[in-house]
Amino acid sequence: MAVTKPSYREIDQAVLRTLETPGFKYWLWIGFLLLLIVWGALCWTRQIYEGLGVTGLRQPTMWAVYITNFVFWVGIAHSGTLISAILYLFRSRWRTAVYRCAETMTAFAVMTAGLFPMIHLGRVWFLYWLLPYPNQRALQPNFRSPLVWDAFAVSTYLTVSIVFLFMGLIPDVANAREASKGWRRIFYSIVSLGWQGTDEQWRHYSMLYLLLAGLATPLVLSVHSVVSWDFAMAQLPGWHSTIFAPYFVAGAIFSGCALVLTLLIPMRRWLRLEELVTLWHMDNLAKIVLFTSLIVSYSYATESFMVWYTHDPFEMMTFHVRYINYGFWIMVFCNCLAPLPLFSGRIRRNMPAVWVISIFVNIGMWFERFVIIAGSLSSNFVPSQWGPFQISVTEFSITLGSFAWFLMLFSLFTKFLPIVSMTELKEGVGWLRQALREDSAEAA
Amino acid sequence: MSEVMVIGAFADEEECIEAVHALAHAGYRKPRVFSPIPCAKLLAALGHTKSPVRAIVLCGGIIGALSGFALTIGTSLYWPHYVGGKPIVSLTPFVIIAFELMILFGALSGLTGFFGLVRFPRLESAEGFLPSFSGDRFGIAVACTDADRSKVETLLRNAGAEEVVRESVA
Repeated sequence: MAVTKPSYREIDQAVLRTLETPGFKYWLWIGFLLLLIVWGALCWTRQIYEGLGVTGLRQPTMWAVYITNFVFWVGIAHSGTLISAILYLFRSRWRTAVYRCAETMTAFAVMTAGLFPMIHLGRVWFLYWLLPYPNQRALQPNFRSPLVWDAFAVSTYLTVSIVFLFMGLIPDVANAREASKGWRRIFYSIVSLGWQGTDEQWRHYSMLYLLLAGLATPLVLSVHSVVSWDFAMAQLPGWHSTIFAPYFVAGAIFSGCALVLTLLIPMRRWLRLEELVTLWHMDNLAKIVLFTSLIVSYSYATESFMVWYTHDPFEMMTFHVRYINYGFWIMVFCNCLAPLPLFSGRIRRNMPAVWVISIFVNIGMWFERFVIIAGSLSSNFVPSQWGPFQISVTEFSITLGSFAWFLMLFSLFTKFLPIVSMTELKEGVGWLRQALREDSAEAA
Repeated sequence: MSEVMVIGAFADEEECIEAVHALAHAGYRKPRVFSPIPCAKLLAALGHTKSPVRAIVLCGGIIGALSGFALTIGTSLYWPHYVGGKPIVSLTPFVIIAFELMILFGALSGLTGFFGLVRFPRLESAEGFLPSFSGDRFGIAVACTDADRSKVETLLRNAGAEEVVRESVA
């Protein structure tokens, strides 16, 4: 007997139900996040007023928590492009239910990352000096500097990610427009720009979507490579390494997919999306987390091996200091050991277990960046300069505020725009039906 | 002679494709087709060629890459900045800027080109559109004379249309 469930209409109903007017608990959650954001903003205001002395930044560790947050959030963004663009080009069957969530995360994570160079700048009002424009002070960015490459790479990534997200949303928002009334209908009419799914519209749309996926794929690989060159181009022991680009890209996809799981697992339950975002989808995401965890573990081993093999005394010393630092062992435990249970298919389909592992990975990947950035700087070429880094309340609060900012944007999106792509789920409805059939057979 | 728009709604994609073939056989070569999902077979049945968005993205990408080189080489020569004996025109790092601008211009020109080709934003509804075409129905809208109306309606019904309605053409 042919399986006909879910039908197109059932997919629409399930996704459009997520756009119903949110209740009190939702606004309470948004209010809580707003409080954290306000606290973070107040701490930033104090930092602007008093100067960077309120942070833990001291010589020689002048890059620490803010740059760690920047790299962390840019890394988080990478899973979205992997799932939405790279897996689209590979015609992956399971991406349809989860790609919108990952893509949304990408856009908001890059927006969050973009805050940190500004916060780290101290005198944020001179931000416009970074822009290449003719001026009487003869100031022009040095295009041989990796920091300028980074500015170009991250701003291009933000723009292309938003364009890609927006393109995917157009047919879904047009669908939501037909089903809604009042201000929502006006809002969806504006966002969908008059989309009606004519053959002429699909003809150009499909081609552009494919081309954007083709453009986003090398872009995503370039962005974290460029971020890694912020470090690798310097001579500092612990930074100056040729493996940084692939190592950072793998780490970025690892942390990004873990955060997709962290958000999706509660979201699919609260929004009652288990029939669309099935265990099969989560299983595949967990496999990517496991696979990238193995690449990251291999990178850690290679990095240490290269230090030992070269016998460079400065590199050896930096790594000796790193090995006696708690941050290193947190990252090894969280990134190399904690994901190993995902080899078991039963654990990959156990959502509480996967959620806990994904949290470990998020923590581990933050520490990885912190160990590389602050750890390497704090033990540089000159032992007389060495000094440990102490995180300040200001840095902790701004970091907390950035998580709240990201979660608030994501939470607002889930209630006002379709967080699961109806169009792509309908396009691959056969695979969804097969996944549901397999899931129910397994449960039985 | 007055014109009408005959609209058929189909639950199934294959039936819609069959209707497109039947209409083409009867001489109606360019009906307007609505679909809730992208469907390559439907576009092929309508005889659509590949979208010119490709050429627009290519041009945008080339302009972006050239702009990247022009910006980096031009400003470096105009404001020379000597650091560590590195050449003023250092092509290797400039490739990175050119690459990023190639992607940026390619994507933005593609979006702009797409908007132009489909005339976005559209304020008026396309003739023959029914709300269900955004959700779970495929639709075919055929402009025909009043005299041909029943022939088109029969064609659509025979192909499997579950609903056939008509609209007068403005």
